Amino acid sequence: MPNVLRQKLGDFNSILCFKAAILGMEEALGDKACAIALTTAGRARGKKLVETWGLDNSSLSLDDLASKLALALGQEGTKLCIVEKIVTEGEAIKVYTSETLCSAGELLGSQRKCTFTMGVVWGSLEKILNKRLRGVHTESVLRGGNHDVFEFTHLD
Amino acid sequence: MAINTEKLSMILQHFVTATTDVQGAALVTPDGLPLGASLPSGMDEERVSAMSASMLSLGERIGIELARGSVDRIFVEGNKGFGILTGCGEDAVLLVLASETAKQGLLMLEIKRVLAELKLVLM
Repeated sequence: MPNVLRQKLGDFNSILCFKAAILGMEEALGDKACAIALTTAGRARGKKLVETWGLDNSSLSLDDLASKLALALGQEGTKLCIVEKIVTEGEAIKVYTSETLCSAGELLGSQRKCTFTMGVVWGSLEKILNKRLRGVHTESVLRGGNHDVFEFTHLD
Repeated sequence: MAINTEKLSMILQHFVTATTDVQGAALVTPDGLPLGASLPSGMDEERVSAMSASMLSLGERIGIELARGSVDRIFVEGNKGFGILTGCGEDAVLLVLASETAKQGLLMLEIKRVLAELKLVLM
């Protein structure tokens, strides 16, 4: 982790405030435009993460990537989410996550989808694999799933 | 099924080089991913794609919230030229950048023509 950015309050702020910012943006811009912006921001963050590790275009296995992401984004990292595992199913890459920031504080049955969180995983995968991917949030803890699952397929 | 992004890029490249006053074009998914692009140097494809999809989505919201109906295109006119966003079926959005000297009628015709060509590849 980098140096503490705030001396008294530390580097973490409440999910409540972050959610309020997202809801405000959705109110002003609409859900879709806001989701595009947040996913794009997440992808950029994911790519930067891999760059800081010096692992772009590397032959890192998906298991190793899962461990790296779990460390960077999980309990010991920025606390964005817990990356449980990354597996391939046919041509798809599935990333299993839990306690995602995007789903936190939502009511069960909410239709909210992960945007920033999925984007971070997405960007890191694209940077590692050096391939363009298309990502979809396929299972949600808000809609009966055990995990928030992001599924990625090759775009071209 | 995978999209033939190479072919899409070729069509866009040809459109940009063969059409007077057109300076760049990009085809992006509604969620902001680049499918193909031929853009002026210095423009980041990823950023342009996200911006285009957000803009179209915002335009659609304006259409609904301000009772303007469904959006056919979004037209940005600046003192250095035009930026035109047009839906390309359900799965893509076309951005065209043209210089300030472009004749709007001709430009719209050319956009209509290239849209038909792109839709065939996306089908």
